[in-house]
Amino acid sequence: MSKHAVLLTFSFILLMVAQVLIFRNFVIFHVGFSFVYLLFLLSLPSETGFSTGMILALICGLIIDVFYQTLGIHAAAAVFIMFIRPFWMGIILPRGGYDESDMMITNNYGAGWFIGYAAPLVFSYCCIVFFVEAGTSQFFWHTISKALVSTLITLVFVIFTQYLFYPKSN
Amino acid sequence: MGQLLSFLYRFRAFFTFLLLEVFCIWLIVRHNDYQRSSFTKTTAGIVGNINQTTGNISEYFSLKRVNKELAEENARLRSMLLSRETLPVDSLSNQIQVASDSTDTVTFELTMAEVVRNDIRNANNFFMVNKGSKDGLEAGMGVINTFGVVGKIRQVSKNFAEGISLLNTKNPISAKHQASGRMGTVLWEGVDPQKAKLLYLTPDIRIEPGDTIVTSGYNPIFPKEVMIGTVLSSTPDKNNTYLNVIIDLSVDFGSLSYVYVIRNYDKPEQDSLINTNEQLFE
Repeated sequence: MSKHAVLLTFSFILLMVAQVLIFRNFVIFHVGFSFVYLLFLLSLPSETGFSTGMILALICGLIIDVFYQTLGIHAAAAVFIMFIRPFWMGIILPRGGYDESDMMITNNYGAGWFIGYAAPLVFSYCCIVFFVEAGTSQFFWHTISKALVSTLITLVFVIFTQYLFYPKSN
Repeated sequence: MGQLLSFLYRFRAFFTFLLLEVFCIWLIVRHNDYQRSSFTKTTAGIVGNINQTTGNISEYFSLKRVNKELAEENARLRSMLLSRETLPVDSLSNQIQVASDSTDTVTFELTMAEVVRNDIRNANNFFMVNKGSKDGLEAGMGVINTFGVVGKIRQVSKNFAEGISLLNTKNPISAKHQASGRMGTVLWEGVDPQKAKLLYLTPDIRIEPGDTIVTSGYNPIFPKEVMIGTVLSSTPDKNNTYLNVIIDLSVDFGSLSYVYVIRNYDKPEQDSLINTNEQLFE
């Protein structure tokens, strides 16, 4: 963690600011939300403990909630994906295994692996957010399509952000 | 005891998860009932200021449209003013006669406010305006704009107020079919921000596409006859008990800019009658 503390702190601040000020205003095709700030949670190194990850997720989620006027929903979803993340990482172990202190980004493990790693997490995040927010399964297909499109758009932004702003691996 | 502790320690990740999720669910549930809001006074100031700043920037892009809307409204008000009879002023007798009766006294007062934050893509949408308790806003006031009903205020802080939009599946609004005068309830369905449903109209009423739906005036939030929308389609439901009326909302929620918040001076009195028997239901 300490190795990337500066980068992580910066990415936390910048991603949260970008999420609240910019990405909150874009809803693409009327259904596609982009939760770019998830990149911060996804990029936490594998050595991050369960509790640290979940508490960071809670803090991020609550900040996002205050601005989306949905207190608790984003926080619950973020805590959930941070809870399942270590198990999921165990399942999709890349060939060389993880370097404990490396950030979980495309530059370290490749874009293909990153998509496989991030897509289910982002999708479960979107599903929780939209289903809890709707509070009913009445608009099941509408909500599912919202979650799918949002997952795609979030992934696109997350991957582009990494190529543009994250340091290349050595 | 030691075993219990080691059990707790072994599954500490799961218990932390459970604890945090319970905390989040508690927040969600507490927030769910819109009277008890998440809109805490501590965060309202900061969030409001940030929304105001971003609003100030995006405002420039809609200036032309806002200008046009305001000019049209001005023209409408001016024509209403011209169609009024002028007051008979007799300078010789030195008195002015003004017709007045009890129905003419002021019950509604409008406060202009600017929308600094607005959502339309959730199932339960809220908006935020840049006036608060400092300007006399209170929870429960109605919000309209030039085109019709927008929603109602649900929480106020000093400088900002959060409103629950008509585009909220938990915000029913008492409405009236203008041609027949029959009552119904307008409720948004959660998908299309241009369409809402008008509930509880019985099939004996003739409803044509294009009919006007206005507020009923049966609750103290909105004055009567404020535009809500026009009928798009109307079909009887399976059991032929009610009509499925879809209405086209007159307000374009995607481009809200300036709104009016309505204060009803009679509201406390009307509410006091409604709530007299509150203890009976507790």
